[in-house]
Amino acid sequence: MSGTKTIMVVDDDPAILDAVCIMLEFEGYDVYCTPDGAELLNMESNLPDLLLLDIWMSGLDGRDICKQLKQNLSTSKLPVVLISASRDIERSALAAGANDFLAKPFEIDDLLAKIEKNLAA
Amino acid sequence: MAKIIPESGYKATFNNISAALLLIDTDAPHYTILDVNDAYLKATNSNREGLLGKSVFGAFPANPSDEEAKNIEMTIFSFEQAIHTKMPHTMSDYRYDIPIRGTDQFEERYWTTTNSPVLDDDGNVAYFIHSPANVTELIKLREKEKTSVEALKNQRQQLFSTFMQAPVGIAIFGGTDYVVDLINPSLCEIYAKTPYEMMGKSIFDTLPHIEGQGFDKLLDQVRITGIPFKGQGYPASLLRNGELQTVYFDFVYEPFREMDGSISGVIAVATEVTEQITAKQLIEEAEERTRLAVDAVGLGTYDLNLETGEMITTKIFANIFGFAEPVPRADYVSVFHADDRELRDLAHKDAAVTGKLFYEARVIWPDESIHWARVEGKTYYDANKKPVRILGTLLDITEQKQAKEDQQKLMALLADSEQLLRNITTAAPTGLWMSDELGNITYVNQTWIDWTGLGFEESLDKGWTNAIVAQDRQKASDKFLSDLANRNFHEAEFRINHVDGIMHWCVVTGSPQYRNDGTFTGYIGACVDITEQKNLQQQKDDFIGIASHELKTPVTSIKAYTQVLERMLLKKGEAREAGMINKMDGQLNRLTSLIGDLLDVTKINSGKLQFNDRDFDFNDLVKELIEDLQRTTDKHTLVENLVPTGIVHGDKERIGQVITNLITNAIKYSPQADKIIVHTSLKNNEVNLCVQDFGIGIEKDKLDKVFEQFYRVSGDMQHTFPGLGLGLYISSEIIKREGGRIWVSSKHGEGSTFCFALPLKK
Repeated sequence: MSGTKTIMVVDDDPAILDAVCIMLEFEGYDVYCTPDGAELLNMESNLPDLLLLDIWMSGLDGRDICKQLKQNLSTSKLPVVLISASRDIERSALAAGANDFLAKPFEIDDLLAKIEKNLAA
Repeated sequence: MAKIIPESGYKATFNNISAALLLIDTDAPHYTILDVNDAYLKATNSNREGLLGKSVFGAFPANPSDEEAKNIEMTIFSFEQAIHTKMPHTMSDYRYDIPIRGTDQFEERYWTTTNSPVLDDDGNVAYFIHSPANVTELIKLREKEKTSVEALKNQRQQLFSTFMQAPVGIAIFGGTDYVVDLINPSLCEIYAKTPYEMMGKSIFDTLPHIEGQGFDKLLDQVRITGIPFKGQGYPASLLRNGELQTVYFDFVYEPFREMDGSISGVIAVATEVTEQITAKQLIEEAEERTRLAVDAVGLGTYDLNLETGEMITTKIFANIFGFAEPVPRADYVSVFHADDRELRDLAHKDAAVTGKLFYEARVIWPDESIHWARVEGKTYYDANKKPVRILGTLLDITEQKQAKEDQQKLMALLADSEQLLRNITTAAPTGLWMSDELGNITYVNQTWIDWTGLGFEESLDKGWTNAIVAQDRQKASDKFLSDLANRNFHEAEFRINHVDGIMHWCVVTGSPQYRNDGTFTGYIGACVDITEQKNLQQQKDDFIGIASHELKTPVTSIKAYTQVLERMLLKKGEAREAGMINKMDGQLNRLTSLIGDLLDVTKINSGKLQFNDRDFDFNDLVKELIEDLQRTTDKHTLVENLVPTGIVHGDKERIGQVITNLITNAIKYSPQADKIIVHTSLKNNEVNLCVQDFGIGIEKDKLDKVFEQFYRVSGDMQHTFPGLGLGLYISSEIIKREGGRIWVSSKHGEGSTFCFALPLKK
């Protein structure tokens, strides 16, 4: 592993955002947490190694953001794991270009497994 | 010495002889008259000058009115016979009318004539003697005698045939044994015997059964005393069609007297009157019955003499008017209710004209009670068409009047309730309908019409389907026809195009209808608008969906915190605290599962349960799940009894959810058992999975219910086994959606086996 990986977490629910960020820091990642999905739209440099993105956020849809990132040449290689409370939208999440999908609530082991898998890819 | 008669003496003899003689020449065809004697002249009303030298046929021409006698030809024939045979020839009793002198009339005469030839010395016929004897009287007498004999014969014949054909039975019984000397067919018929069987034998020998019925004594009495006996409507037992029947007779026994006046037998004349007697008896019975009937129905009768005003009434008549016994007419009239008197007078006036009396009036009894009477009668008129008499009946109709009033009240009530029913059917927020046995709609109520905007006529037969939205129409129609074909209770849901412009949901139900004899007549049913219900259900589903989603958010963060906390505590070496946190995480999983179930049910109900089908190895999934689930229980050993199955195409998560549900149920409902067996097998291109437990089992009558929504084990055990009652319902829905089957077999108290089958990947 070449240094510490940076993971960006975007979720409009502050409790989840807080808990996930604590968890990932505890596991040894560099974590950048924000409740504002709009930040991602202007992101061009200082890209994280992986993006953990909630789908249902107030005013924004994680799938739309994911689609945009994947279409943008500078961000198209960024691994994106979409998270949702609804298991049923897994298919549309993958259709939006996400590298992986995770349903809430999740086991910490599942989350870490998916992160590691997509970092390695 | 004998006197010698002189030659002239013969001439005198010729003229004095009483026989008529005519001497005729043989000069045919003239036959000239040579001589004639006085007797001939007298017999023929002729004189000698008119005859002598004349042809006999010129003197006595034929009577032109007598065409039959042919006397001329006969006479010529006789002449020729006498001449040729030289022997006398006699013509007997022939008619030869003689002319009445001085007229052209003839007198009818019959003759017996002999023509005797007289020979000359050479033996040739010189002339012949024509000697007619007038036999007219004799002939006439003989004819008269013949006619009277003929008449006598006819009379006898008539008498006999009358006797034989008489519609009354006639017989002559001779001697003391009453031997049948003569019997006519009518009597034979009465005795049911042939004349041959009856004739010449004693009546009591032929008909032994009539002995001892008194007829023998009657016959003796008539024969001995000579006094006739007349019986009327006299009964006798006679054999008819092989059995003794009582028949009735009118009959007369007359003594049969010989020429010397002695009695040698009895003449019997009998007529059967059984029918008349029977008819009379029937009439008497009918009269009796009528009388009884009249009494029984409490019908009073009366006979009113309009000329004297006198009225004869029966006791019942009096009773109806409130009297114990019949009273004079004026007394009856006096008790009529004052208000009905005018009506009664009018009815009587009317009866005089129409011949019929009819009215109903009230009478007041001594106890002041009011009774209704119906008077009916028929008017009789004299020769001058003046009404003289009324005969009729009287009936107490108080009860009828009361009943009629009650009935009218009842009818009013019925009409009210009918109106009420109509109002209800119209006002009911329910469409009502009826169909015939072929499924054609025959009735819809106003509510249906108001909802659909279809007219009554438009809704009939198959017209109602036009109210249904196009997508639901065929399905609704098919369902109804299929229920109709099986005479099933009909139930279906469909949407209609409501007049308010929105689609409304309806649930229609219908019960098959049968006549008393069991024949099917069609359906009567209702149609309820469940739009509101559907909306509420939608709202409920939406709410649960949102609520579960909202619940997940805090659960997610709590779960994340919990897991981080557990890891931190473990890292610090605080194992006990970490264990507690781990248990907390287990409870969070349970909460997550409950939320998941709620969410799944709302999705099933709204048809939004999604499947992500892909290929997976079935046994691998089972092993994986058993491994996970074994960790949740210390008490039970999960025994694998797996047969290689192969690849299934389906939603692995959902199918896993079902297997998990079945195994956790098995654990939950077998607290006393120590093992659970999981079987897999392959049958008919289907993968089968069975989870067998040795727990409490399910009662037989509950088996069908366990897959229903919200079904929970009831009774005392209810408290022991928590849950929402959704697990098996969700499982069965998942299996059904994956094209499989799910079932259970169980014995109460011994355990259950839950199984499902899924199609193998083709």
